[in-house]
Amino acid sequence: MVCAVLSAQVSPNFIEKIHTVRLVARISEALDLNVISDLISEACLCLPGTIVAERGDFYNLEVWRAQSILGRDFKYPETIAERTAIELAHHISLAGRRLIAADEY
Amino acid sequence: MTESKTAVLLMRENPANPADPYRMKELRGLANAAGYLVLDEIKQRRERDHRFQIGRGKIEEALAHHPKKLIFYNPLSPTQVFNIRSEFPVQVLDRFNLILEIFASRASTREAKLQVELARLSYDAPQVRSELALKKRGEQPGFRGAGAYEQSMYHDIRGRMAKIRAELREVEAMGEGRRRRRREMGFDLIALAGYTNAGKSTLLNTLTGSGVVALDQPFTTLSPTTRALEINSRRALLTDTVGFIDDLPHFLIKAFHSTLSEIAQADLVLLVADLSDPLELLRRKLVASHKALWDCQVTAPMITVLNKVDQLDEFDARMKVDRIRDLAPNPVMVSAHSSQGLETLKELIHERLPPLKEYQIRLPYNSRSFGELSRLYRTCELLNVRYEEELILSLRGRAEDVARMRKTMNDELAE
Repeated sequence: MVCAVLSAQVSPNFIEKIHTVRLVARISEALDLNVISDLISEACLCLPGTIVAERGDFYNLEVWRAQSILGRDFKYPETIAERTAIELAHHISLAGRRLIAADEY
Repeated sequence: MTESKTAVLLMRENPANPADPYRMKELRGLANAAGYLVLDEIKQRRERDHRFQIGRGKIEEALAHHPKKLIFYNPLSPTQVFNIRSEFPVQVLDRFNLILEIFASRASTREAKLQVELARLSYDAPQVRSELALKKRGEQPGFRGAGAYEQSMYHDIRGRMAKIRAELREVEAMGEGRRRRRREMGFDLIALAGYTNAGKSTLLNTLTGSGVVALDQPFTTLSPTTRALEINSRRALLTDTVGFIDDLPHFLIKAFHSTLSEIAQADLVLLVADLSDPLELLRRKLVASHKALWDCQVTAPMITVLNKVDQLDEFDARMKVDRIRDLAPNPVMVSAHSSQGLETLKELIHERLPPLKEYQIRLPYNSRSFGELSRLYRTCELLNVRYEEELILSLRGRAEDVARMRKTMNDELAE
């Protein structure tokens, strides 16, 4: 699986500047919350700011629980800009996954 | 409101989440808007009860008031509705059905009626399907056992939904054409969006001096209403739209797509919020508005109009604006009721509208050119007109106006 992280500066409805784009690939036998949170923590290492992820990524957990698992500021997307950034990260991760898959074969 | 329309409101709160007093208040507002006399409000903090959604004791407590209906904040599954109705002699509604009831009572245009019917059918279709699945479990072959009648009911619903969707697509295409014509006539399109009962219609009335129905209750406006507005010599059309509300199912937003496309296709969106709301509620409403705008695929610039500023002192207002800055693009504090801050809002609208471009155009001397020149006088700002070997125009206007003129003149040359 591939995790894409986008470090960006946002205003309420636009992405103002993208600072970093990072892709982390990992192979895992099973998929659970620990694997996902480890992957997200690793991908966000040394990046400043609040982590924003979709509700489904954290199995719809309450924000305070996700925050305590990650040990960092965390929230689900609220504004249009945050949703745009997540959509962008999805496109990047999918493209990255296809690249890796193409490379394997 | 009649004595016969009485209801008790029930809400189950998840123990993992903090208590939210505003949700029950919102449900009461919706019940009042639908014409119900609310006899009591009952809350319970517990995990979901699979049979009744809320505890049996709470339903019995509600029935002590002898209401006609029980209105639940939480969504009810078909099985829960069946269980409550078979064990207790009362009708039940959930919040979504209550909203649909309000919509159905206020829908006045053909488009609004179709949208409400589509939303109702989208809600009913999976419920009918699950009822059919339950019925078929005990189905026997032979006499009274084939279940053909019930199956056809589900297919009828799907067929009707397809027909309504086709009709709404036509309405949407007409709306698209209307917006294009308005742009060609030199109008900028501005949409008023925001949570229900934020004061959008009042703001429309104050800005344009019109007399649209504006009441202190949710969902007063269902169909878009457009009025003309002139700001610093730029002509604009301001459209009031249906308000947003939290926790709405996706298919309801899809059903109202033709109305919401007025927001998606606008040149500028005024996101109206009620600044007199408590901070927590204000943030929740802004988050719900952002989600709805995202679902509408809005890409236009936005101004956040923080309405009802006259209801709180300046310190409180500034403190609230600071706390919602991450959710409020270009905030401006106004009071549509007392006209406070409207000049600042107009200046900001003028600043944020798409800038007009300058063009230089050469036209031959013929009747079509003079016809176009006459039209450009109305739709664009003509900077200079020179009558030389050709007609040379310098103008400032929208790309659509110039494109239409070029198309007309090319057609003329082709002829």
